[in-house]
Amino acid sequence: MAELTLEPEDNPAQHPLPKLTGNRQLWIGCFQAMASDCELLIEGVDEVQASALLMIAAKETWRIEHKFSRYVSGNIIDRINTALGQTIEVDSETAALLNFSDQCYQLSDGLFDVSSGVLRKIWRFDGSDAVPDSVQITETLKHLGWHKVDWKTPMLSLPEDMELDFGGIGKEYAVDRVVLILNSKIDRLSKHSEFSNCSFVVNFGGDLACSGPRLDGTPWTIGVENSERDQTSVATVSLSQGAVATSGDSRRFLLKDGVRYCHILNPLTGESIIDAPHAISVAASNCMQAGMLSTFAMLHGEQAEAFLDAQEAQYWVQR
Amino acid sequence: MQLMKRKTNKSNVRAIKKIAPALAAASCSLLSVGSGTALARGEAGTWDFDAASLFYAETDDRVSAVEPVFSATRNFEDGEVLNLKAAYDVLTGASPNGATPSATPQTFTTPSGNSTYTTDAGDAPIDDTFKDTRVALSASWLAPINRDWEYSAAFYGSKEYDYLSIGTSGGIKRYLNNKNTALNAGLSFSFDTIEPEGDIPGALAEMPHIGSGDDFSATRIDTSDDKTIIDALFGVTQVINRNTIMQFNYSVSMSDGYLTDPFKILSVIEDTAGANFGGNLQNGNGNNIYLYEARPDSRIKHSLYWQTKYALANGDVIDGSYRFMLDDWGINSHTFDFRYRWQLGSSYLEPHLRYYMQSEADFYKRYITETEYNAGSLKEATSDYRLGDLDGMTIGLKYGHKLDNDHEFNIRVEYYLQSNSGDNGIGLLKDQDLYPDTKALIFQVGYSF
Repeated sequence: MAELTLEPEDNPAQHPLPKLTGNRQLWIGCFQAMASDCELLIEGVDEVQASALLMIAAKETWRIEHKFSRYVSGNIIDRINTALGQTIEVDSETAALLNFSDQCYQLSDGLFDVSSGVLRKIWRFDGSDAVPDSVQITETLKHLGWHKVDWKTPMLSLPEDMELDFGGIGKEYAVDRVVLILNSKIDRLSKHSEFSNCSFVVNFGGDLACSGPRLDGTPWTIGVENSERDQTSVATVSLSQGAVATSGDSRRFLLKDGVRYCHILNPLTGESIIDAPHAISVAASNCMQAGMLSTFAMLHGEQAEAFLDAQEAQYWVQR
Repeated sequence: MQLMKRKTNKSNVRAIKKIAPALAAASCSLLSVGSGTALARGEAGTWDFDAASLFYAETDDRVSAVEPVFSATRNFEDGEVLNLKAAYDVLTGASPNGATPSATPQTFTTPSGNSTYTTDAGDAPIDDTFKDTRVALSASWLAPINRDWEYSAAFYGSKEYDYLSIGTSGGIKRYLNNKNTALNAGLSFSFDTIEPEGDIPGALAEMPHIGSGDDFSATRIDTSDDKTIIDALFGVTQVINRNTIMQFNYSVSMSDGYLTDPFKILSVIEDTAGANFGGNLQNGNGNNIYLYEARPDSRIKHSLYWQTKYALANGDVIDGSYRFMLDDWGINSHTFDFRYRWQLGSSYLEPHLRYYMQSEADFYKRYITETEYNAGSLKEATSDYRLGDLDGMTIGLKYGHKLDNDHEFNIRVEYYLQSNSGDNGIGLLKDQDLYPDTKALIFQVGYSF
């Protein structure tokens, strides 16, 4: 087992250091970020190279977490949310995420909204029966709505009583960024002929993407947490290219009068989605796309499968 | 509860649109935007630097060289790589002038024609006025065109006191079979100008003895000359399995122009029976006769190269290669190179063994005989040991250590032994060592960051 060292500025949240286990057949790198177990599986490299790739993955993930977490004071999200209605200029990466969020808002007819985080103040998915009443919901809805945000790259004006957060896309974005960066690192290493071939999977708590099939040509088989409350059973996903993302209510739900309220909320109504599947996993070419398709499908409630069929997506639904 | 039911129904009747293609486009556009954050070595958006200094010393106070090299590589998000390199050489010492050793002291005119130097009886004649500095700069650019194609372009320039070389090259690479096969082709062009101190001597002109009143300038034909070199390369790189990668290259190199070394001479040896049989032929002034060498004005070289790298399960790498070279000067050569990279945690140790054997050029002569000299039929001749029959062996060891911050420190020591062989001379010349060995020590330290 190898423990790696990182500069303090690479690990602002002071997570435990990444750990690398395994052997030349398969290296397993683990670290914590974004309230998830983050895993990197790599084959075809030696221990030093695996450690270096794991370090790159952790640094990039922690960078994204630190930059976009709504719990870090002074970062861009904090500056946006505390601008008190003033217009601020954002950097190019934030602008790209805002543009993406804007496109998702348009494509989903408002069902995906980066300003919907305020609903969490009334919906606390702690497994209890504390379902908010209609007065609370109506009051909260006044404080959300992407259409009220004035966004013209790179200038952003957020109404004073609103908040933005990238909680719905941050993890998927991190998975894709890590894949991108590791691929470029590996491309460069292979140009120097340090090794002939290498394959890897990035798995951040069930949101995952791979660089391609395993070196023997077979797909990667990854265990993802089953939505059933029984945590011992694990569903597996086979992946030879692209990404898979899962939306579900495995631990985050409310139960009242026999109705299970899933943690995916409709920003147009302020309501929890009813009749949504327990979990939806969608395959796509990258994790952002897979994550959005599974989230949108959840937001379609009982029409989740119909929505996914219309997208011609490959998916797994658990009801 | 009623309200909730109604609203839920409303959301359920929304029309289902096909949004997947637009979403795919949006996510691709997002991921093509760089974060601009500097990361580890080799990452896009960062500069990598390599600094190294090479020390080369031949034994017997012959050529020694110091060459610091600095290289900077910039990686871009889309896979483009820019490399800039600067090298500075300082060469000092003495180099064999091509004449044979002799039983009597020999006096030579320096290439500049300004002075003379004398070699003791029995010693190898070497020109110790040799000193040069060289500055070389190069820039190369490598970029993918799409998933399967890649191109490269490079420019190069180097300047010595009496020599200027400029060149450009371009290449294209095609990946096939999921990047398991790569085909590449490259073309390079270089233009060199030599403007030697003391100008350019005529082909096989007699070296003037300036102490005896010879007219130095009468032996000079020009102040400068040039040559062009065109190289073409075709290669295939094939991943054989997850441990093995193999490379085959064919290259052809065509040189045209002034390919002669203006500083090299040949001795003319008496081959008529008598007291001086095998001694230096002398002219009317009682001075030894030496002729400036002359080489053909074109050369075509073909070479085939095969390399295999094999990665062992423990991370060690075996790297073996063979090169066969054939040219129209009658030289053919074989090079065998073997390295074993022994991985020791974050360090490695790399023993290196290289063996080189070469046959002599058609116009190679250790000396010119009196008969040949008088017949005047020779058009080309050289006694440059690098064009003779030779064997070379290099034994080396490299140690590298990767630091936690992805920087690497390395040190390399190599010993080179070259032995020439050929015609052992006639008469008096038989007592002389016509083919002394060349031995050199090479030491290099490098740091990558």
